[in-house]
Amino acid sequence: MKNDTTLNKVKRNLVNYLSTLWVIYLKELRGYLCVPFGWVILTCTMGIQGLMLQAVLETMTQATGNGVMFHMMDSLFFLLLFIFIFPLITMRTFAEEERLGTLEGLLTAPVTTTQILLGKYFAAYSFYLIIWLPMLLYPWMSEIGNLYTYTRYGEHCETTITYMLADWIGAYSILALTGAFFVALGILCSSVTRSQIIAAIFCTCLMIMYYFMGRVTELWGEFPAAPIFHYISWSEQFKAFTSGALDTRPLVLYLTMTICTLALTKRLVDYRRWTR
Amino acid sequence: MVVAEHLHKTFGRFTAVKDASFRIEKGEIVGFLGPNGAGKTTTMKMLTGYLPPTAGTASIAGHDILDEPVESRRHLGYMPENVPLYDDMRVTDYLIYRAQLKGLRGGDVRTQVGYVIDKCGLEPKRKNLISTLSKGYRQRVGLADALLGKPDLLILDEPTNGLDPNQIRQIRELIRSLAEDHTVILSTHILSEVEMICNKVIIIDQGEIKAADTPLNLTRGLRAAGRVSIEFKGDLDVVVKELEAFAPVKKVIVEETLPGGWHRLLVRAEPGTDTREKAAAITAAHGFATRHIYRHIPSLEDVFVEMTRRD
Repeated sequence: MKNDTTLNKVKRNLVNYLSTLWVIYLKELRGYLCVPFGWVILTCTMGIQGLMLQAVLETMTQATGNGVMFHMMDSLFFLLLFIFIFPLITMRTFAEEERLGTLEGLLTAPVTTTQILLGKYFAAYSFYLIIWLPMLLYPWMSEIGNLYTYTRYGEHCETTITYMLADWIGAYSILALTGAFFVALGILCSSVTRSQIIAAIFCTCLMIMYYFMGRVTELWGEFPAAPIFHYISWSEQFKAFTSGALDTRPLVLYLTMTICTLALTKRLVDYRRWTR
Repeated sequence: MVVAEHLHKTFGRFTAVKDASFRIEKGEIVGFLGPNGAGKTTTMKMLTGYLPPTAGTASIAGHDILDEPVESRRHLGYMPENVPLYDDMRVTDYLIYRAQLKGLRGGDVRTQVGYVIDKCGLEPKRKNLISTLSKGYRQRVGLADALLGKPDLLILDEPTNGLDPNQIRQIRELIRSLAEDHTVILSTHILSEVEMICNKVIIIDQGEIKAADTPLNLTRGLRAAGRVSIEFKGDLDVVVKELEAFAPVKKVIVEETLPGGWHRLLVRAEPGTDTREKAAAITAAHGFATRHIYRHIPSLEDVFVEMTRRD
């Protein structure tokens, strides 16, 4: 009987904890989707995704044997988008609250720093995932394009962007995995300053550094420590995943990195209160 | 309701609050008084749990702010200085969000938000974006936020700062009406405000608590408390000599000789004594006319000046 009541208590506490987290999550997500800021990012991203697709159509003429996803994520446009999207999404999270002073109201409400952090993190991460959804429409859009060409000019142009299940799952899972870590990294950058600009610059620098660490082997060739650099190289991971080769090593890498970064951010937010 | 024990806060080498201990009972309206930079805001922020104290601790409604931070904050409504708000939210949406953060769910959210909107007079602006609100309304939104969930303790940091006289009056009335079911701590440097609404005053200067008592008790022991001024027409030396011979009188100062042979004296006596009767009797005994006799009522301003002046 006693066990039962403790169990109920734990359950109730958990429900309370999660419902408060949910409240923060919804508010933060609304902060992306109910203000012009989010839609500007979404529009720009869709524009760049369009350019990525166009780059694909050019390289596909060379018949490399790789799928659409591989070429899309191998293009320069993707690199640009991928490096700058995280600072844009995350720069506001803590820096803006700190500048406005609303962090004070948030931290004096009966919620924990972890709840606030996780609410913000999941909201930013959800918005990041939303950004990639329009790509799912491309095959369907190519059908429409074909239909349009046929009705307009009476000819079959037969552009096809196929859903190759392995490629698409691979692409979306590596996007989700790397995103989980980089969103956490962006929030970490945002929590160390009250200026959004500095947060964004800081995050961009870290992104670029991380990107080039993955390409060290291309500059220095193979050396004893090279496997480390292969291991963390997201450009190589993207190539593997978008060819349909799913790998569990990045899963471990990015999940641990995400958890460590979030833990560090939590410490930082608390630490900054102690020193103020 | 609130017990603070040896709260201490340093910022680097600067000590903002030194060993502050005080108790606040349920139902009291407490005014934190002090010059700018005295440590009022720091003390309040420590009570809210936002700034962790360097040493010492405090408890709110029996919950320690360090050991049970979430539980202690559940009993607390806090309105920070300058009222930071999300500018891109509407008043009602903001209050609903805050109510949910404070753990209210379902129908409670609507009723509570409705209650605070009504209480703070936000009805005409409930659908406005917060960025379009005037200073007075922002202040009210902050107050409404603090009231959500009917916390036992309200901590208001300069609630009337930057408002016009009418708004100050409205907010003051509001705070007074809140005292029925809340304990209130407010900070201000407007002394008349404290005299009007607070039943306990804590005076802080340079991080130290100088006094914590009711306004009446504070003014009672003051040096200015026994002062009497008298204006009479007649022989100055005789009156001064006889007054100085009277026991509680410490010193008689001739303030001014006015046209028409009138003299004004300031009689300094022990605090808590009344020398008016004696002074009147002396002038009457010599047949001198008296046109003005007055005993100073010490105000909180006198207390404040005496405790915080640096000369």
